[in-house]
Amino acid sequence: MLGLLSGCATSVDSSKTAAVQAQDSYYAAAQATLQRIAAQRPNTGRAKNVILFVGDGMGVSTVTAARMFEGQMRGVDGESNVLAYEAFPYLALSKTYAHDAQVADSAPTAVAMTTGVKTSNDLIGLDQRGKLEDCETSKTTHVTTLWQMAEQAGLATGVITTARLTHATPSATYAHSASRDWESDADMPPEALSQGCPDIARQLIESNYGDGFELAWGGGRERFLPAETADPEDPSKTGKRKDGRDLTKEWLERFGDGGAYIWNAEQFKALDPAKAKHVLGLFNQSHMQYETDRAKDSAGEPSLAEMTTAAIDMLSSDADGYLLMVEGGRVDHASHESNAYRTLTDAVALNEAVKAAVAKVSTDDTLIIVTADHSHTLTISGYPKRGNPLLGLARGVDGELLMGDDGKPYTTIGFANGPGGLKEGARADLTDVDTTDPDFIQQSLVPLASETHGGEDLGIYAIGPWAHLFQGTVEQNYIFHVMDHASKIGARAAAATAAAPKTN
Amino acid sequence: MAAASTRRALLGTTLAAVALIGRRRRAAATEQIKIRDLYRTNTEFSERAVALQGQRIEIPGFMAPPLKPDAAFFVLTKRPMAVCPFCDNAVDWPADIVLVLMREQQEWVYFNRPILVSGVLELGVAVDQSTGFVSKVRLVDARYELVG
Repeated sequence: MLGLLSGCATSVDSSKTAAVQAQDSYYAAAQATLQRIAAQRPNTGRAKNVILFVGDGMGVSTVTAARMFEGQMRGVDGESNVLAYEAFPYLALSKTYAHDAQVADSAPTAVAMTTGVKTSNDLIGLDQRGKLEDCETSKTTHVTTLWQMAEQAGLATGVITTARLTHATPSATYAHSASRDWESDADMPPEALSQGCPDIARQLIESNYGDGFELAWGGGRERFLPAETADPEDPSKTGKRKDGRDLTKEWLERFGDGGAYIWNAEQFKALDPAKAKHVLGLFNQSHMQYETDRAKDSAGEPSLAEMTTAAIDMLSSDADGYLLMVEGGRVDHASHESNAYRTLTDAVALNEAVKAAVAKVSTDDTLIIVTADHSHTLTISGYPKRGNPLLGLARGVDGELLMGDDGKPYTTIGFANGPGGLKEGARADLTDVDTTDPDFIQQSLVPLASETHGGEDLGIYAIGPWAHLFQGTVEQNYIFHVMDHASKIGARAAAATAAAPKTN
Repeated sequence: MAAASTRRALLGTTLAAVALIGRRRRAAATEQIKIRDLYRTNTEFSERAVALQGQRIEIPGFMAPPLKPDAAFFVLTKRPMAVCPFCDNAVDWPADIVLVLMREQQEWVYFNRPILVSGVLELGVAVDQSTGFVSKVRLVDARYELVG
C-alpha cells in the first residue's frame, strides 16, 4: 500500500548512533517507521476518485480498542497491531463540536464533512441559520453537498451504510431537512408536510442533481415502502409511509433499464457491475444487522467490505471518477448500548471495508479518508497486563484480578455513562461473569438508558492525492475542503452548471 | 445518533428502581438457554428451541419497562432496553425478544439489572386478546429472580 505513494524514496541516516539501546526491538521498529515516513512525498495530482469512510461514533479510544481486538481475534499481539488505515501516511485531528453544541450528534458532523460548514444538532443539509423542525426556514438555508456537486460535474456518486439509508450520516450526502428524524412522511409533523418539506427518503429518490446517485445501499426499507405493503423479508411487518408511495418502484421507473432495486444477499451477489447503472439496495427493514448477527439474517445481508468492493467495481466505469461514502453506522449503536463486543466487531468490519478498498484502487488517483463523526465514552483503563483479553476482566502482570476499592474486579473497557450504570445499589460483582460474551454490557458510572456521544477530537486518516493536507488539529468541516481541493469537484460542477444552466 | 437523552423513549413507564426479589432455589435439572440461541435465523427457531417447547426452562436477560404498572407480563430482552437508541416505535424492537407471562405479579426490576426467568416455553405467533400484543416466543407460568 505504501509503495503506491508517489515520489522518490530518501532515507534518514541513523546508523551512527551511540545509543546503547540501538539493538532493542522497539528501537529498531521505530527506526523502520522513521525511514518509511521520511520517504513519503506529497501527491499533488488530481484525485479522480474520493472515498470517505465514516465509522459512526468511532472515537480514538474505539480505534485503539479495535486495533487490539482485531489483533487478538487473529491470535497476534493486539497492542502493536496495525489497522489498515493506521498505515496511511497522513493524519490530523478533527474538532467535532456543532454550531450549537459542545458534543454533537451525527447530523451536523456529517453535514460538516459533506458540505464544508458546521451547523446545529439534528439538522441535515442546512447551514447555521437552520432551526430545528422549522420547515419554512429550512427552505432558505440549504447548503450543497459535495455529492450533489459531483453529480453536477458528471462524476458517479454512491453512499453505503449499515444503518438506515435515511439516517443522519448517509442522508447528509443528499438531503436537506430541519430534522434528522424526518426520514419518511410518517415521521413528520403535519405542519411541515403542509408547508411542502419533503421527507428524507423522498429526497434520495427525487434528487435532480446530475443523473442521480449511481448507488445507495444500506438498511431502512420501511421508509421507502407504504404502510399497506408487507416487508419482503418479514411479512409480519410493513412499510411506514402514509402517502402510499412505493419509492422502490419510483426508483425503478426513474432509471428504467439501468435501474435496479435489491433487498437480499442473493440479489446482491447477482449484481452485474457492467449493467447496473443506478442501484438502490435496502437490505433490512430498519438498520442492517450488526456484523456479529449478520449470519442469522434470514434474507442475508452483504458485509460492508462486500458492498465496498462491489461499489468500486460499479463506480469505476465512470471515466469522470466517483465520490463514495462508506459508513460503518452501527459502531455507534452498539456503543449507545454500552456493548463493547458489537462496537468492536463493527469497527473491525469497517477496517475490512477499508482494506478491500485499498486493495482495489490506486492511491495514485484515489483519495481515501477514514474518520468518524463523533466519539463515545468508551475508555481503556486499569493496569491490565500486556495481552490481557481486551473484553475480559483486568488482570495484572502476575495474572491476578485487579480490584476496585469496593473489592470487586473490573473490565478493561468501560463507558463513562450508559445502561451499565445503576441508579441504586452497589456495582455488580463480575467475578463469575463472562465479560467476553457478545451480549455483555460494560459497566458505567452514570446511569443512562442510552450511552452518550463523546466530544473529544477524532482521527482523520488519509492516503492518496492531497492527503498531506491533513495535518495538525483542524475543524471537522475542513474534510470537505480537502476532498474538494483534491478532486476539484466544486469548480467542475460550477463549470458544468454554467455550460448547461438547465441541469439544475 | 442524537445527543438528546430524552428522544425516542419507547415506553414512558416509570419503575420502582430496585425490586426486592426473593431468591428461590433453582431446580437442578432445569435447562437454560440464551435468547440468541432461540433462533437459527431472525425468523426461524433453532432446533434446540423447538426441542424445548412445552418444557420449563430458564432464560437470562433483562426486563424491558412494563407497559403498565399492574401488568402480569413483561418483555425479556438479551440486552438492556429502556430506551431503544435507534428505534422509533415498537415495530423496531429486535426480533429476538421473549414475552414473559407471570404466574403471579412480582415487583419490577430496573431495565438494566440482569434477571433469570423460569417458565414454560411456548413458540409460534400468538396475539394477546387483552393487549393486542403479538409475540413469537413466550415463557408462561413464569417467575424471575435478580441475578446481579
